[in-house]
Amino acid sequence: MIKLENLTKKYPSVTAIDNISLSVDKGELFGFLGPNGAGKTTTIRMMAGLVKPTSGNVFINGWNIANDPNEAKMITGFIPDRPFLYSKLTGREFLWFAGRLYGLNKEDINKRLEPLMELFNMEDYVDNLIESFSHGMKQRLVMASSLIHKPKLLIVDEPMVGLDPKGASLVKKIFREICKKGTTIFMSTHTLEIAEEMCDRIGIIQKGTIVAVGTMKELREKTGTEGEKLDSIFFKFTGGDEIGEVIDSLRF
Amino acid sequence: MINNSLGLLYPKITQLKNRIKFKGEGSYTKAFLMVGFGLAFWAGLFIVFFRVLTYFKGIEVFGDFLAAKLLSMVFLTFFSILIFSNVITAISSFFISEELQLIISTPFNYADLYFSKLTETIFNSSWMVLMFSLPVFISYGIIYEQNFSYYVFLIFSGLPFVVICGTLGIGVAMALVKYFPAKRLKDVLFLITIFFVIIVYFMFRFLKPERLVDPDKFFTVIDYLSALKAPTSPFLPSQWVTDILSSMLFDKVPGTAVFNMLLLWSTALAFTVMLGWVFNAVFYDAWNKTQEGKTAAISINRFFNKVLDLILFPMSPPGRSIVEKDIKIFFRDTAQWSQIFILLAIIVIYLYNISVLPMEKNPLPTVYLQNIISFINLGLAGFVISAVAVRFAYPAVSLEGDAFWIIKSSPMGLKRFLWCKFWVNFIFLVVMSEILIIFTNYLLKVDTMMMAVSAVTIFLMTFGITSLGIGCGASYPRFKIENIAQIPTGFGGLLFMILSMLFIGSIVVLEARPVYYFMMSEFTNVPVSSSQWVSVSIHFGLVLFINILVFLLPMKIGIKKLSAFEKL
Repeated sequence: MIKLENLTKKYPSVTAIDNISLSVDKGELFGFLGPNGAGKTTTIRMMAGLVKPTSGNVFINGWNIANDPNEAKMITGFIPDRPFLYSKLTGREFLWFAGRLYGLNKEDINKRLEPLMELFNMEDYVDNLIESFSHGMKQRLVMASSLIHKPKLLIVDEPMVGLDPKGASLVKKIFREICKKGTTIFMSTHTLEIAEEMCDRIGIIQKGTIVAVGTMKELREKTGTEGEKLDSIFFKFTGGDEIGEVIDSLRF
Repeated sequence: MINNSLGLLYPKITQLKNRIKFKGEGSYTKAFLMVGFGLAFWAGLFIVFFRVLTYFKGIEVFGDFLAAKLLSMVFLTFFSILIFSNVITAISSFFISEELQLIISTPFNYADLYFSKLTETIFNSSWMVLMFSLPVFISYGIIYEQNFSYYVFLIFSGLPFVVICGTLGIGVAMALVKYFPAKRLKDVLFLITIFFVIIVYFMFRFLKPERLVDPDKFFTVIDYLSALKAPTSPFLPSQWVTDILSSMLFDKVPGTAVFNMLLLWSTALAFTVMLGWVFNAVFYDAWNKTQEGKTAAISINRFFNKVLDLILFPMSPPGRSIVEKDIKIFFRDTAQWSQIFILLAIIVIYLYNISVLPMEKNPLPTVYLQNIISFINLGLAGFVISAVAVRFAYPAVSLEGDAFWIIKSSPMGLKRFLWCKFWVNFIFLVVMSEILIIFTNYLLKVDTMMMAVSAVTIFLMTFGITSLGIGCGASYPRFKIENIAQIPTGFGGLLFMILSMLFIGSIVVLEARPVYYFMMSEFTNVPVSSSQWVSVSIHFGLVLFINILVFLLPMKIGIKKLSAFEKL
């Protein structure tokens, strides 16, 4: 479903992504981990067509996003880390807007609207202006809108930021369900427990390069950390082991 | 803990420095154009005041009196503009500014916050007025042969004057915010400002300054000016500054100047201290009220939605989504309504100007003149359409704001998105331009040939003007600016106006010769010769070529530049 081929993104002062290659299969829930500034969001934005790679290719279901962006986007749903929306629209109007952007007609949108609002528990506030929504409410709205056209691929940047425990648990359940039905999810996250609990495979990016890819079992074998949690593996790859020493030096 | 006012101003000063230090691509060109534009305006203002004052000085007996009256009016105008500008700036800096969340969460000192915000507000609302007031005061200094002490007095009287205006404005803002939510208040005040500017313009326009060039009426105007009762209350700080400068310029009695100077400084200091007390008493409650004012009850008009459904029914779903969203947001965002005021004002002023043209007084034959004026009208109407386009078409892309990621990540494609914006704006502008040109030509009573040429030309030009508006807006998007009125004030807006003027100018110049041939043929009853027909064809061919080029090229560049835009 996703194929990243020698993907590179250079900015004038820094190489954000350095020649990465990766494949994600249909129906897979892929977790993309890495410390702050490692290049997760840049990779995701290139996959969503928001940022143009300096070199390399992104293939979505066989479509090259550089050559056939609209075909690739038609089957993709994108959830950004910060849900900037049109504050003067109501939640319902925004869902209609999103549906039409993906070419859905009135009947299709009507059919999808009610179940989505119910799924994300938005009925109470969906007719208010978005400017009055909390961060979590906006996040739920963006998630609902990204599913309105039944995407084959869902690209998610930090899905749990701003969600309350109930919301987070709901999102986990929804992601699992749609994966079962064949949708692929590419998800970046800082929450290691979520990645460990939900993802079929995990990729770890560090300074713009992928340092490890595999299932939890494969990653444990690679690092010799059998039986340990994902954070130990993560720190092995990203060098966070020394954090204890740093905290000691700060003398909290 | 940040423990002084300068510390609280540190981020502002550093950010300003960094903006200069970390210059983006093309910022030299932008800076050059902006400075050039500012200098041209500055020089224009200087020339106008220099000429007016030279003229006043030449009038015996009451020339100095007129110059003093003008100075008094200038200061009274500054006084009102500065107070109003401080009210609006204070609402943002004292109550809406995002940094307040951070500052208030720290153990801050009220006095430090007050002085830093006072400095920030007065500086932000006054620097431009002060900058553009310099040509006025320099003109006075040169014409009335002043030495160095005049400029020293100007600075020392100007400073407390600005502080008085600032404290008064901030005081009004604090009183208003205590009772109304700051965010709504800012929108409403913005509308009032525009309304205020329009009224001032109309007052000026209805004085008919063109009478100054009519020798028959000249003395009546001078009489009128002398009779103008500009408020000269001794309680107005503007009058104190006027008196200080007048005593140096005309009376040469330094005693009055010293007294008024003391009055200005003591008032400025007293107001600063008293406003500090008000700040301590009201700030925290008022700021809390601002936070509560974020949620808004809304009403959704079913009839409005039905009408919209009916109008947009033939459109494809993606195109419709963009148009419907834009229309709904337009009607809900009070800041965008200001654009309608501006639009109406531009049109009414334009129509009024055409209707009062004294054509019967000109020595040229009326028919001949009517056609020439109609031809000039074509250029002016183009200018009006550009002025409207810079407020509607140009900001169309930037208005997507931070939510632009939705469009860019959707399968709609930026090409389709921009053309969608183009057609909505084109329909609106072309209807307006045709009404404008036909109605003004009707007022000018032009013949059918000129009416047809004007109608077709403006129709074609509207394609180019709209394309330039959308194209420039897409090339220089300002997604971080929420207020529509601020979007055209950047480099892209200026570029659009320059390109638009060049485009309109080239079309009018190219059409001048063919129109002249036709007009002369009609006037002299001699048919257009075959060589003239060749020239006519070449000129009209070029007109068509430029129109097609300006219609397609800016859109193409806009799509390319917007596709490459990654700062989301």
